[in-house]
Amino acid sequence: MQIEKSVTDGVTVLRCDGRLTMVAAPALRSAVEEAIGGGARRLVVDLSTAPFVDSSGLGALVNGLKAARVAGGDLRIAGASEQVLSVLSLTNLDRVLKPYAGVAEARDGW
Amino acid sequence: MAGEADDGTLSLTGWAVPEGLASLHALLEQGREAHSEIDPEAFMMLETAVVELANNVVEHGRPRGELRWTFTLRVLPGLLEGVLADDGQEYDGDLDAAMPDPLAESGRGIALAQAALDELLLEREDGHNVWTMRRRY
Repeated sequence: MQIEKSVTDGVTVLRCDGRLTMVAAPALRSAVEEAIGGGARRLVVDLSTAPFVDSSGLGALVNGLKAARVAGGDLRIAGASEQVLSVLSLTNLDRVLKPYAGVAEARDGW
Repeated sequence: MAGEADDGTLSLTGWAVPEGLASLHALLEQGREAHSEIDPEAFMMLETAVVELANNVVEHGRPRGELRWTFTLRVLPGLLEGVLADDGQEYDGDLDAAMPDPLAESGRGIALAQAALDELLLEREDGHNVWTMRRRY
């Protein structure tokens, strides 16, 4: 999985390209940690090109959400596939990580 | 190593290591493409469970990094069945793990697999842990 970072108007977008699984989850944790260490407070994880997420990937998203909140910011997810929406619902994670349709929707009003 | 039997059953054998997970995804994709008449959600949920149990074998199977696994996908009338068998020590974890708190960072694997399936069985057969996963369609 590749992670591409972009920053626009104070919002940091991390676009995950590929499956967010056991193999890739540490890279997302590091990318979020690095962004927050660099001063980012509003983060969007763009999952529109991540067709599949497993429990390790969910753990990395929760880790990022908590790290962002501890730093006084927040983390949102955007562009989740059907599989990702299903696992968010099955694990009740949609209660703490509301899925936004796309990056534009996640940024809207932030 | 992957193959297809005369009855359409797909199977593979490999090392139970993180790099082996891609082969499981590929085999399930092959099954989904061969059965476009079946609701893709059933394959998606089976794939979710297979990957969680495979992760579990990779992380908790002993001796770590030395296990071999075999995965078989059968498409039966109204039912998808995946069987993952590993040659590691007998698994003694809990199959009825509750779903952790939403802010937990780990511990979801078995609970997520259970939630994605209609039936999950674990048996010890001939020195193998045999995980049978069933999802109706």
